[in-house]
Amino acid sequence: MSALLEIEDLRVTFRTRYGEVTALDSVSMHVNEGETLGVVGESGCGKSITALSVMGLIPSPPGKIAGGSIRLNGEELTTASPARLRAMRGPDAAMIFQEPMTSLNPVFTVGDQIAEAIMLHQKVDKAQALKDAVALLDRVGIPSPETRAKDYPHQLSGGMRQRVMIAMAVSCRPKVLIADEPTTALDVTVQAQIFDLLNEIQRDFGVAIILITHDMGAISEMADRVAVMYAGRVIEDASADDVLDYPQHPYARGLIDCIPALGRDDHRLAEIPGVVPPLHLLGQGCAFADRCAFKQDRCTREKPLLGSHGHHPVACHGIEEARL
Amino acid sequence: MSVLMDVRDLTVRFALPKPSFFAERPHLEAVRQVSFQLEAGKALGIVGESGSGKTTTAMAAIRLTKAAGGQVLFEGDDLLELDDEAMRQRRRDVQLIFQDPYSSLNPRARVVDIVREPMDLMEIGTPEERHAKVEELFALVGLRPDQLNLFPHQFSGGQRQRISIARALTTNPKLLVCDEPVSALDVAIQAQILNLLAELKEKLGLSYLFISHDLGVVRHVCDEVAVMYLGKIVESGPTSALFEAPQHPYTQALLSAAPSLARRKSKGYVRPLKVSGDPPSPINPPPGCAFAERCPRAQDVCRKTPPDLVPGAGTAVACHYPGPADTI
Ligand SMILES: Nc1ncnc2c1ncn2[C@@H]1O[C@H](COP(=O)(O)OP(=O)(O)OP(=O)(O)O)[C@@H](O)[C@H]1O
Ligand SMILES: Nc1ncnc2c1ncn2[C@@H]1O[C@H](COP(=O)(O)OP(=O)(O)O)[C@@H](O)[C@H]1O
Ligand code: SF4
Ligand code: SF4
Ligand SMILES: [Mg+2]
Ligand SMILES: [Mg+2]
Repeated sequence: MSALLEIEDLRVTFRTRYGEVTALDSVSMHVNEGETLGVVGESGCGKSITALSVMGLIPSPPGKIAGGSIRLNGEELTTASPARLRAMRGPDAAMIFQEPMTSLNPVFTVGDQIAEAIMLHQKVDKAQALKDAVALLDRVGIPSPETRAKDYPHQLSGGMRQRVMIAMAVSCRPKVLIADEPTTALDVTVQAQIFDLLNEIQRDFGVAIILITHDMGAISEMADRVAVMYAGRVIEDASADDVLDYPQHPYARGLIDCIPALGRDDHRLAEIPGVVPPLHLLGQGCAFADRCAFKQDRCTREKPLLGSHGHHPVACHGIEEARL
Repeated sequence: MSVLMDVRDLTVRFALPKPSFFAERPHLEAVRQVSFQLEAGKALGIVGESGSGKTTTAMAAIRLTKAAGGQVLFEGDDLLELDDEAMRQRRRDVQLIFQDPYSSLNPRARVVDIVREPMDLMEIGTPEERHAKVEELFALVGLRPDQLNLFPHQFSGGQRQRISIARALTTNPKLLVCDEPVSALDVAIQAQILNLLAELKEKLGLSYLFISHDLGVVRHVCDEVAVMYLGKIVESGPTSALFEAPQHPYTQALLSAAPSLARRKSKGYVRPLKVSGDPPSPINPPPGCAFAERCPRAQDVCRKTPPDLVPGAGTAVACHYPGPADTI
C-alpha cells in the first residue's frame, strides 16, 4: 500500500544575501490515510518550509523546489500548475497556522468566510453554504454558532479563531490537514481543547494530520508517527512510541530529555549546548556535530544519511558504528 | 527561614477608556487581594493563563505598577509606602528579567555597556570596579570575554537572555523577578537557561518571583507555587503538594491540559479532565467563583459567593468544594 502523501528527497533552496542556501536537503517523509504524523524540531529546522512545499506555497522567488517529489494520492505536486495547486488547496490538502488572525480576513464575518471557502469548491448556493458554515462552527465546538457566524474575527478569542480556522480547513473534507504549531499562541487549557478537537475531527472525517510542533509532549499526545528534523534534514523517522521510548539520534534524545516534565523533580535538566547553525554555515559533515557529545572524526567530514541501523531509521554515524 | 517578601491583599486597578462622554469611567481589577510570602533563597512560581494577572501582580509588588491597595513588606519595609529616595535605594535589591530578550536590550548599545548600565545609573563602585563586575558576571552566566564588545543582534535568543540575567545581577539583588524568562526560547535553549537560573539561585542565594504559564518549568524551578485565575490566587502551596495533590478544580484542569510524555496516542489516552470555554472577562467578573462557568463541580453557591483562600493540609485553596480530582 502506498502512502497518502509521500515526500521524497525534497530539496528547497532560497536565494539570500549569503548566496543560495539549502533549506531542505533530501527530506523524505510520508503520511498514511487517517494517521497523524508529528514533525518536530527547533526553530528554523525546516518544518514550515516542508509544509508550505506540500501546499505549493513556497514564496518564489526567493525560494524554489530544487529537486525531489511530493505525491498526494499518487499525483505529483512539485510539477503541478499554479491553477492545479489552487484547486488542490481545500479539497485535497488544507493548512492551519499558528496565528489564525493572519489568515482570517478582518472585514468579513467568520460565517461569510467559511461559506466562501465552501462555495469555492462545491456547487452550492450562498444560503446553503451559510447553513453548512453554521453546522461546521457547531461541529468544532463553538457555542451559539448562528450568532457567532455573524461575528468578525476580532470579536472572538484566540481559541475560537483557531476553531474557525479548523472549521474552514475541514469544510472541503481535505485528505490531509497540516497544522503548523496551531496552539503556540494559546493557553494550555485551550491548547488541550484544540488538540482534542483535532483528534475528534480525525476520527470523524478520517483526515490525515501533519502536526508541526516544538513539543515532544504534544507529539506524545497527538502523533502516530514522528519525523524529527534538524537543519533542513530528517534525522529520525519512526513511530511515536519508538522515538519517545527509544530515541536513537543524540538530537532526538536531547529534545526529550531537556523537557522539564510534570512528574519529575529537581535534578539538572539535560541540555543541548549551542544553537542550530544558520543555513549558510552548514558544512560537509553532520549539522549537529558542534552540539553533539558523541561526535567522531567522521562526523565533521561526511553527512550521515537516514538509514536503518537497527531499531529504526536515523541519520547518525555514531548509531551506525554502534550497530556494526 | 526568613521571609524576604510578604505581600498582603495586593490589589491593582486599571482605568479603561470611557465608552461615552457621560458614562462613568469603567475599571478593571487585574489583581484582587493577592497575598503570598516569599522566603529568602527560595523561588515562588506564579502560574495561570494569559491575562490572569501574573505580570501585574509582580510589577505591583515591586512598585513598577501602581497598586490600589495592600502591602508589600520587603525585609519588613512596606515598599508601597517608601518615599522616592528610599525606594531608589531598594531598587538595587530587586531586579527583573523579561520574556523577550530581543526587545528588552537596546539594539544600538554594546553588551558591555548594557550590562554595566544599572551600576552606572545607581552609581555603584568605581568605573574599574564596574568593568570588573561585568567581566565576572559574563563568565558567571556562561558568556565569553571576547563577546563583551558585540551588539545584541550578534547573539542568539538564549545568549541574549544570559545578557539580561547578567545585567540584572550587577546590583547584587536579593530578588529576581523573572517574567516568562524562557517562553520565547526553543526547548533545548530553555533547558540551558533554567539550569543557569537554578545554579545562580544556589550560588548567590537569590530569591525568584518566577512567572510562567508552563507548569513543567515551574515544577522544575520553584519551591512554592501560586495559581492565579482572573486576578486571584485560587491555590498555593509547596510545589510537590500542588503538583501531586492539587485540590482546586482549576489547578487540576491545568495539569490535565499540559502536554505530557506520559500520555500516548497509541495507548488511546483520553484527557482525564476537560475544561471548556475561555476565562471570563476581568471587566465584569462574575459575582461568585470566577471559575464557576467552566467548573465541573460548580453548584449554586459557587455562582453567588466567592470562595476565600483557606489553608489546608497540603495547599491553600479557594474553592467551595476542594478535593482531589476523581480521575487525574
Ligand atoms: N523566504 C526565505 N528566505 C530565506 N530563507 C528562508 C525563507 N523562509 C525560510 N527560510 C529559512 O529556511 C529554514 C527553515 O525555515 P522554517 O520556517 O521551515 O523553519 P521551522 O522549522 O518551521 O521553524 P519554526 O519552529 O521557527 O517555525 C530557516 O533557516 C529559515 O531561515
Ligand atoms: N496597562 C493596562 N491597562 C489596562 N489593563 C491592563 C493593563 N495591564 C494589564 N491589564 C489587564 O490586566 C489583566 C492582567 O494582565 P497581566 O498581569 O498582564 O496578565 P498575565 O501576566 O497573567 O498574562 C488582563 O486582563 C490585562 O488585559
Ligand atoms: S553523526 Fe556524529 S555528530 Fe552527528 S549526531 Fe551522530 S554522532 Fe553526533
Ligand atoms: S468554588 Fe465552586 S465553581 Fe469555583 S472552583 Fe470550587 S467548585 Fe468550582
Ligand atoms: Mg515554522
Ligand atoms: Mg504576563
